[in-house]
Amino acid sequence: MIKITNLEKIYRTEEVETIALNKLSMEVKEGEFVAVMGPSGCGKSTLLNILGLLDDPDKGSFIFNGIEVAHFNERKRADMRKHNIGFVFQSFNLIDELTVFENVELPLIYTGIKTAERKEKVEKVLDKMQIMHRRNHYPQQLSGGQQQRVAVARAVVNNPKLILADEPTGNLDSSNGSEVMELLTDLNEQGTTIIMVTHSEHDARFSHRIIRMLDGQTVTENILI
Amino acid sequence: MFQNYLKIAWRNIRKNKTTSAINILGLTIGLTSCFLIALYIQHELSYDNFEQNRNRIARVIMEYSFDGSPESQKGNFTSVRVASVFKRNFPEVLSAVKMVEYERVIKYEDKLINEKKFMYADSSFFSVFSFKLLSGDPHTVLSAPHQIVITASAAKKYFGENNPVGKALKVGTDSNYYQITGVVEDCPASSQIRFDFLASFSSLGIPKEYEDTYWDANYTTYLLLTGKDALAPLQDKIASFMKKEMAGQGATIHFYLEPFSRIHLYSPYNSFEPNTNISYIYILAGVALLILLIACFTYINLGTARSMERAKEVGIRKVIGAGKQQLFWQFIGESVLICILSLILSISITCLLLPYFNALTGKLITAQSMLSWQIILFAVLIITSVALLAGSYPALILIGFRPVSVLKGSFKNTGHGQWLRKSLIVFQFSISVFLIIATLLIQKQLYFIRHKSLGYDRNHVLVMPLDKEMRKNISLIKQEFKSYPGIISVSGCGRSPVEGGGGYNMRSSVMPSNQQMSVTANPVDEEYVKTTGLQLIAGNDFTEQDIKDASIEDPKKVGYHFILNESAAAALGWTARDAVGKKMFLDDSRPGVVSGVVKDFNFQSLHNPIKPFVLFTEPGGYEMLIKLNGSQLQSSITFLEGKWKNLVTNRPFEYRFMDEDYNQLYSSELRLGTVMNLFATLAIILACIGMFGMSSYSVQQRVKEIGIRKVLGAGLLNIILNLSKDFIRLSLIAIIIALPVSWWAMHAWLQNYAYKTGMDYGMYLIACLGTLILVAATVSIHAISAAIANPVKSLRSE
Repeated sequence: MIKITNLEKIYRTEEVETIALNKLSMEVKEGEFVAVMGPSGCGKSTLLNILGLLDDPDKGSFIFNGIEVAHFNERKRADMRKHNIGFVFQSFNLIDELTVFENVELPLIYTGIKTAERKEKVEKVLDKMQIMHRRNHYPQQLSGGQQQRVAVARAVVNNPKLILADEPTGNLDSSNGSEVMELLTDLNEQGTTIIMVTHSEHDARFSHRIIRMLDGQTVTENILI
Repeated sequence: MFQNYLKIAWRNIRKNKTTSAINILGLTIGLTSCFLIALYIQHELSYDNFEQNRNRIARVIMEYSFDGSPESQKGNFTSVRVASVFKRNFPEVLSAVKMVEYERVIKYEDKLINEKKFMYADSSFFSVFSFKLLSGDPHTVLSAPHQIVITASAAKKYFGENNPVGKALKVGTDSNYYQITGVVEDCPASSQIRFDFLASFSSLGIPKEYEDTYWDANYTTYLLLTGKDALAPLQDKIASFMKKEMAGQGATIHFYLEPFSRIHLYSPYNSFEPNTNISYIYILAGVALLILLIACFTYINLGTARSMERAKEVGIRKVIGAGKQQLFWQFIGESVLICILSLILSISITCLLLPYFNALTGKLITAQSMLSWQIILFAVLIITSVALLAGSYPALILIGFRPVSVLKGSFKNTGHGQWLRKSLIVFQFSISVFLIIATLLIQKQLYFIRHKSLGYDRNHVLVMPLDKEMRKNISLIKQEFKSYPGIISVSGCGRSPVEGGGGYNMRSSVMPSNQQMSVTANPVDEEYVKTTGLQLIAGNDFTEQDIKDASIEDPKKVGYHFILNESAAAALGWTARDAVGKKMFLDDSRPGVVSGVVKDFNFQSLHNPIKPFVLFTEPGGYEMLIKLNGSQLQSSITFLEGKWKNLVTNRPFEYRFMDEDYNQLYSSELRLGTVMNLFATLAIILACIGMFGMSSYSVQQRVKEIGIRKVLGAGLLNIILNLSKDFIRLSLIAIIIALPVSWWAMHAWLQNYAYKTGMDYGMYLIACLGTLILVAATVSIHAISAAIANPVKSLRSE
């Protein structure tokens, strides 16, 4: 599903040049659950941003579903993203002005799905995430765990092939964190590919494979199953 | 999608109450100002639009001068000859109509009313103009003497629901009754010809011989031409025709044709209704635009300043698939929503304010005008432009954010955005300073006009009409009036000094009869100089005997006496002292002697320099001036009213004050002054609202910094100064920009006046200090609250 080869990303300021990804190569198969670990500044978030088509590499190849996407323009990236990728962030990143229902509905609006179908899909996913009773609440009225469940619901409502999770339990207590990890595991079991950046060994153990990074390169890979 | 945009826009408005209130309030004030100005401009531009023939009607303007005299007189006056001669000689003239307006006392049964809107017109009136007759035949309603057409309102006033046609009215001192031959729709408010009564021109009984002269030019002539294009060739024909007509007469007369549709806004000559100077329309349109820009800039500033807060939302939307276009339209949608809310509010406020605005401007603009297609189109255009102008920059800033940076929290507001915000603040305050200076200068010039010593005393002088019946008893009336100690003097005259006089020509007895000079002259009695306070600098005032000399029936024995102003004496080659006792002629038909010379006085508006002026003896007159003791005004008027009822039975007791007449000369300036006051105040309020919003934002951004400064020992004043200095600096830049621009613009405006106030430094100082104080006060509201806040709280919240 994902094949990256010799990927490079360098951040430049006036005085400093930071190599975020250094000829990184890796492959993720459809249906896999991969955890990416490593110390701060090792390039894992940069990798996730490039995989999520939020950022583009300076060099190298990135093949997604058989298509070379490394140098797609903004419009094509947005199009590819909205149909194929869901995101879960550490800080949830819900829109404060929208209710739970409306937050989850948003990706469907951007993909042009009709109102009735949207309603059905949102209700289904909210039900699945056990957050239906909070559908008319605003994010600030929810607990952290509930907010992250809404974020997961929003990430999966479009049935994406890939979910990218950036430290999804980083802002949650252990009980809520476990709940979220179980949700991700369930989604993976239903066929969704998941790539998760994490600092937590506990969370990483939910994955099939752990990729450890250092200075923009992969240093080890542990296959857990 | 659109519903989602609206939803989030509405929730954002509710969430950010202060910012939304500032934006909506600012745009509402801006739009309300624009609507009021637009309605005013539309009203002015719509003058005579109802007139179907407006593009082929021309008004005749006469200019005359005497051979050897450099002076010429030009204005809206023609003799009765012009209409008939032009119609006869020029095929381009389909029809011509002579008109004149006088006040007339109308008597019907027990009603006795002095009607100010009373006109006389030829029978061709209804074939030239489009006034709609409700009853009566347009070809015959004015075809004979003593026929009269009245408006529907006048009909109601005098006859209630009864049909007035066929009824007879007593008009002024005319012994004949006027028969009502038709009823016409009320004249539109935006018509340069407005009357309540329209009598046949033949009712004036002008002798036949007046048809033979171009002099005695006291009437307005309109021509209906074959087409719009006929005007220019006809103008050329008239020039050569008049050359022949005036050959060997010692004078030159030119007639110019003014397109009817241009009179109200472009003509320098008086009309039946006051004209408006087109430059005032441009000034007001400019003010409206500036006010709207200030409101838009506040919106843009707050929008870009708040972009940091919206960045997260944009980042999320981008991550989950929103395209740039979708985001752009989302923010434009928000802008449209704010604009629509402001529009609804501003339309309601405009309708509520219209009566006050009408009172302020002296116009009759109705709320229905808001429904005209021009205003609706204006509203749509303005809302679209404001929404795009105010919404697009913040939208473009927001959609340019990189979602990765925003969501990682490493996003910082750009220096470019700050530069733009500062520029807009500078621009807003430049406009405000400019408007403050312009308003101060207009007010100063108006004060100068109102209080300038004109060479006569216009205070506590009543002006009353004097008609034929009253003239018979003038001595008795004057004597009775003067019996009250509060009444200082009473004079019968042609016109008051405010109204000037009529056009005449003069020469000294040593000048040949073909060498004449144009002069303005006024027939007066022996109390005129005393009543008006003219300052005699040589010779003597008129005596009762002088007046009697001018009223001898035998033309050969008639002897006139003259009082010249300094300019007239100089024009005839005399010093003031030399002039006394010299013989001269006024219009050749009035030989006489100079009795005295008065100091030059302004008998025209201050737009014009003082010209030669002659007072000549004549009994009676058309107006009575009554000088009152200022401390006994009310009791004197009560006394006059009592006497009037006994002595003058043919007309109601009505009076006006001479200083009111004087202010009328500057009605357009006074209107401009009032309107400028209003809108300059609004502009300043808007700029302060913008500054209030920006300072609030600035303080919010620096809460942590303020906390740290306080912890480190900064005092209250230090913090306030620190927070205010940026805004004060921007205001200073605005002042530096506005000063030269306003100096240049106002200097150009003052060139319209022959007599003008100076542009002193004090005015500029007031404007600059006023602006700085306002800015400091506005910014301090937030600065003080931030400075007195507990630093522990702000540091913890950070």
